Amino acid sequence: MTIQAQGMSHRRELGANGLLSWIMTVDHKRIGILYLFSAFIFFLVGGTEALLMRIQLAQPDNKFLSPEAYNQIFTMHGTTMIFLVVMPLAAGFGNYLVPLMIGARDMAFPKLNALSYWTFLFGGVFMYSSFLFGGAPNDGWFSYAPLTEKLYSPTHGMDFWVMGILMLGLATTIGSINFIVTIIQLRAPGMTLTKIPLFVWTTFVTSFLAVFSLPSLTTAVLLLLLDRQLGAHFYNTAEGGTALLWQHLFWFFGHPEVYILILPAMGIVSMVIPVFSSKPLFGYAAVVFSTIAIGFLGFTVWAHHMFATGMPTVSLLFFSADSFLIGVPTGVKIFAWMGTMWKGKLRFTSPMLFAIGFVALFLIGGLDGIHLAVVPVDWQITDSYYVVAHIHYVLFGGAIFGIFSGIYYWFPKMTGRLLNESLGKWHFWLLFIGMNLVFMPMHVLGIEGMPRRIYTYGPGRGWELWNFVETIGAFIIAVGIALFVINYIVTMLKAPTHEEDPWDGFTLEWTTSSPPPAYNFAEIPSVRSRRPLWDRKHPELADWRNEA
Amino acid sequence: MFRKFGVLMGLAILLSACQPSPTFLEPASSISNHEANLYRIILIMALVVFVLVEGALILILVRDRKRANNEKLPAQIHSNMRLEVTWTVIPILLVIVLFIMTVQTVNAVAAPSHLKSDLNIRVVGHRWWWEFDYPDLGIVTANELHIPKGATVQVQLESVDVIHSFWVPQLSGKTDVVPGQHNTMWLTSDQVGEYLGQCAEFCGTEHALMRFKVIVDSQQDFDAWVANQQKPAYQPQTEDEQAGYMEVTGACAACHSLDPSDLNTKKVGPNLAHLFSRSTFAGGTFDLNEENLRSWLADTQAMKPGNDMDIKILPKTRDQIISYLLNLK
Ligand code: HEC
Ligand SMILES: [Cu+2]
Ligand SMILES: [Cu+2]
Repeated sequence: MTIQAQGMSHRRELGANGLLSWIMTVDHKRIGILYLFSAFIFFLVGGTEALLMRIQLAQPDNKFLSPEAYNQIFTMHGTTMIFLVVMPLAAGFGNYLVPLMIGARDMAFPKLNALSYWTFLFGGVFMYSSFLFGGAPNDGWFSYAPLTEKLYSPTHGMDFWVMGILMLGLATTIGSINFIVTIIQLRAPGMTLTKIPLFVWTTFVTSFLAVFSLPSLTTAVLLLLLDRQLGAHFYNTAEGGTALLWQHLFWFFGHPEVYILILPAMGIVSMVIPVFSSKPLFGYAAVVFSTIAIGFLGFTVWAHHMFATGMPTVSLLFFSADSFLIGVPTGVKIFAWMGTMWKGKLRFTSPMLFAIGFVALFLIGGLDGIHLAVVPVDWQITDSYYVVAHIHYVLFGGAIFGIFSGIYYWFPKMTGRLLNESLGKWHFWLLFIGMNLVFMPMHVLGIEGMPRRIYTYGPGRGWELWNFVETIGAFIIAVGIALFVINYIVTMLKAPTHEEDPWDGFTLEWTTSSPPPAYNFAEIPSVRSRRPLWDRKHPELADWRNEA
Repeated sequence: MFRKFGVLMGLAILLSACQPSPTFLEPASSISNHEANLYRIILIMALVVFVLVEGALILILVRDRKRANNEKLPAQIHSNMRLEVTWTVIPILLVIVLFIMTVQTVNAVAAPSHLKSDLNIRVVGHRWWWEFDYPDLGIVTANELHIPKGATVQVQLESVDVIHSFWVPQLSGKTDVVPGQHNTMWLTSDQVGEYLGQCAEFCGTEHALMRFKVIVDSQQDFDAWVANQQKPAYQPQTEDEQAGYMEVTGACAACHSLDPSDLNTKKVGPNLAHLFSRSTFAGGTFDLNEENLRSWLADTQAMKPGNDMDIKILPKTRDQIISYLLNLK
């Protein structure tokens, strides 16, 4: 192919494969790969932390970890998985794919893009360096005040956390503005709002969520910094500060954050399922509207994390009603994915398996989430293992499964090589079984009265069996992840096949070589429908003839 | 493959019913009973949705998988207005039902304003133990809250340090114990018994060992308990006890009170006046007996690492202290 040939020669000219070229790069694809790679390393670290916790909790009164160690590990596990894994993985896909999907040559601000990546990496490494300086952060990923005040958290761990969060917030803000401008400005001719691929839509909405919610987190964290370093009293209740101020500021960010974590994965799944069903996404408009609706509603439900803080009844009911409402657009999406598969021609490739896993598991995360919006029930199960089960069905069964779907799907585009399919299927089944073994019993433990974030528990409360089962499940997940790493290494050792369109794809990224040349497209494509490549392959059935 | 979750979940709940866990599904109060009933209804609704949706998904996956040599393209359907409206409206109806049930239960478990409270209690969260004050009765205890059967007990929650959360699943859901804020809740039970509770908000190093129990007594037992708590602490009789007493009212007094009416204490440790009227210590973690007390005084940090009692006592003094403490019935 001419495009491919040009791409190859272009890259050879730059001699662009040395380490320096990666450090200096402003190419959105390379930055995307840097993001994905770094975030995956953090994923392995956060996963190891999870295994340590599961070993500690495998039996009652276990002495494997000290309370100090456990508290640092669970804090870093949550902080890592949220800020250093799922967000940057989504940013990695966004960077790599958004320009390709909208037919652009790069992001709107390539240098800003590089700045965003390096700020993220520095923030992550900085936070982890706290282990070398007297202890990591140890107050949980939502670090409630006044526990975080110097009086109660005297190590430097919280200072590292504060600074790290500021850097990561900055990185995300820069990246989000870049996405917003790119998506508004650089779409190929003909790609109107109703023809944007869904992953681009979710990245768009996610970026707005980040830009509008992060200032609240930044404020919360800056006030804490003032308290800790300059002796201010914003959260210091002994001096007239307010403990709940932190919670309001934090969750005003924290709830939209949940959608920042899940929407990109929903976008991925909305790209993968149609391709492997050989059908268009069912109800595109409904899915886009529900994404936007989730974006707005996401800002109105923050206090459902605070039902037990002693709120007046009216507020309780307001936030409860709002939280129920948010279930509706989520349901719309699940039905849309199933409608897409309905009477399709389903190919169970690894990306498709992970996408189906996403639908099956995310449904559970939605249903148990509804329980948490029912105020009187929430009073019983909030801050118990039930919540831990819920967030992992959403963020592991949801976000991580969606991301693995995306990795298998776009890996050939990024590297010119297909990952091994049978290893991929093993990977899927181990994760699927393992995650249900770990997280399903957590519902039961929450119901049985086990609070979250305890480094140990006594015997005789009926919690032994399920904790043990969960630990086994965690190791099954670990084996699955190890297979993925092996798959990656084995695949990268093979010669690339440079297949342009191995999955029979629909969207613009599959119209250029694998990997694409630095400038993506020799000629900027023009678009008449949501599935430009489908149109080219099936002119008689082209979408623009019958798209509603 | 998805159906096995349902089985697993059912099995798990069955199993959990066989073991004595502090679960609100075995309620001992009208509050938890309401909460448990609501939970069961929602669980059933969720299971129905779960089975229907996952069932439909499996059906689609099996029926519509690509068969060998099938090169025909499926029909390219983009949307179906009627269907989409249906699956938007049904969830909306469901959540309206859920919301109505939520409102009803919130009202049912709200403090009964027409009822006068029979007993006022102040719960004070300390890192990492619970102080229980009875302002009307002028007594204070730690980690084991006694209430009389059938009484309406008004509970005020305060913290001297960070946020804790008061949770006794079988009696009531959580209420956070927030410093600088006076949250209230209420307790009532018609079932005599002991109910396990635990701090449910991460409060630092020993959050895991900040447990407690609520003991629902018959009125008679409760009165007897109160009468005992109102007595002053035991006076030393022997020489050893006297030496121990000097320590407890000396070095230990920086953190512990021996005055049973020292409510809302400024001291960082629990009141010791009637230590041995309790069955557990150190945040409800260890059985209170001579042997455990001995190891506690030998090395508190080994038993509960990070707790705020960080002292060294000579073995001889330790024996004297114990000989006195054992009498604090
Ligand atoms: C620096 C303050 C401090 C000093 C001094 C101190 N304690 Fe303590 N003590 C505590 C704290 C705090 C606890 C609660 C620990 C926990 O459960 O986390 C405690 C708990 C106890 C308990 C268990 C009480 C219960 O019901 O849980 C006993 C018994 C006890 N201390 C005895 C003593 C004796 C005897 C001395 C003197 C030799 C002493 N303590 C000195 C702070 C202190
Ligand atoms: Cu606590
Ligand atoms: Cu706690």
